[in-house]
Amino acid sequence: MVALIVIVQLALVVRGYRSAHKEFAFQMFPESSTWRAEIVRVTTDGDRVPVTQPWAGYRWDELVRGRGLHHPELRHHADAGLDNQLAFLDAALDYVAENTPRDDETRYLEATVTTWHNTDAPEVTVLRSDDRSDAT
Amino acid sequence: MTATAAPARPVGLVGTVDELLGRLVSMRSLALLRILVGPVTLLHLRPFVADALAGRIYRDAFYEPYASWYPELPRPLYGAVLAVGVVAAVAMSVGFCTRVATGATFAVVAYNLFLSTTHLHSNRAYLVIVLAALAVAPCGRELSVDGWLRERRGEPPLDPRAPGWPLWLLRFEAAVVYGASGVSKLVDPDWFGGTVTWHRVVQVRDRLDASPLPGWAVTLLADRSFHTVGAKLIVITELFIAIGLWWRATRYAAVWVAVCFHVAIEVSASVQVFSYLAIAVLVIWAVPSTRDRVVAIDPANPRHRRLARVIGPLDWLARFRVVDGPSGGPVSLTDRDGGVKVGPAAVARVLSRLPLTAWFALPTLALPAARSGLTASSRR
Repeated sequence: MVALIVIVQLALVVRGYRSAHKEFAFQMFPESSTWRAEIVRVTTDGDRVPVTQPWAGYRWDELVRGRGLHHPELRHHADAGLDNQLAFLDAALDYVAENTPRDDETRYLEATVTTWHNTDAPEVTVLRSDDRSDAT
Repeated sequence: MTATAAPARPVGLVGTVDELLGRLVSMRSLALLRILVGPVTLLHLRPFVADALAGRIYRDAFYEPYASWYPELPRPLYGAVLAVGVVAAVAMSVGFCTRVATGATFAVVAYNLFLSTTHLHSNRAYLVIVLAALAVAPCGRELSVDGWLRERRGEPPLDPRAPGWPLWLLRFEAAVVYGASGVSKLVDPDWFGGTVTWHRVVQVRDRLDASPLPGWAVTLLADRSFHTVGAKLIVITELFIAIGLWWRATRYAAVWVAVCFHVAIEVSASVQVFSYLAIAVLVIWAVPSTRDRVVAIDPANPRHRRLARVIGPLDWLARFRVVDGPSGGPVSLTDRDGGVKVGPAAVARVLSRLPLTAWFALPTLALPAARSGLTASSRR
């Protein structure tokens, strides 16, 4: 039992080098990287509406709190690393797409993310939520 | 009737490890840790409880379950679980129904942690590990209401010793926290080269300028060459703590450095309960045996009596027995290895072994006056 726990713990530490959330890997303060995202709702008629504008009674900053995702339009420190931050943002897009039943115009959400890995030059990544099946 | 025999000598590596894991050791350090981790758990639960009292729970905003099958409770029940966690943490800390309370605290904190990937932080993972170790160790037999109630009922105290494997396992986990963090920085050229810490300071330069730090300190902190050296020191510090805690010769230095390290982190970064937890966990590195050091005092000497009064309430790890020594003699400390210190050297060593005064007293052990005073074992 003790040997098993030791092996699992060491495996989790090794796994942390590839995993976005680094569970039980104890890689603390990994990067000075920063990020910023412009998130839009892409509607069924092709419009791209920033989520900084409330829609159908929803507000991004009420739907998504914590982990630095509250105001994605501002440049933030990725305090657990960029992989971690992008994984959270990707999951947040899906969460919003799936949990806004009054919204009948959005097809999907899209984030254009600018990331600065430590002092490296910026890179741009596009993340997209799942398609919303209930959009008309 | 059960026949008993003298324990056989362990054979081979497996036998040695097996003997080590099963060896009866004092659970005193885990009992002390149990007390300290109660408030840390309450501090950890506070934001969840505050949100619940305000009518918000985790799933009112973005969250991401680890697994679709993971049970999610109805809102009132989730609030009740948090309440159970709070009550259990208090009961765990005071040692009331300790086994149940510690298990319940672990269950609530672990359940809550795994509800969402957004709940996970390293300090919370570490808290779950510590609570798991406390839950499996019989750490409520002393320093507890349970023990006090047992005494009041006139029942004999339970053996405060138990197989050492939870303690060794927790030591391993504690070392992993520092080791994994240190190695991850060591293998990252940006970290080891100082880029990460320097860049982070540059990002918060406006806050530093507005802070009460003197100008020269801000300039130094923003200097890249300072971080070229500083980052390496941080990595070496983490690795030294991870390794140094295991050896008797370096253990006290590692504990002292770890306290400085965590205080520095606490004042410079937002790390939730990490600093409090990590400092509390340092008590597990005390040798798991009790009352094996003898302090002899002259009961007629007021200064000696004052020392005895300090040892009584501050000897949380039960390391000392205070006995009456010869009249007119100096304070003497007989260590577990038979070595004897007398006078100021003995006082410094005693204070360096009390959790509350250790950090202040440990550096004095490097002074020549504290190193002298070895009498008995070296002259025998």
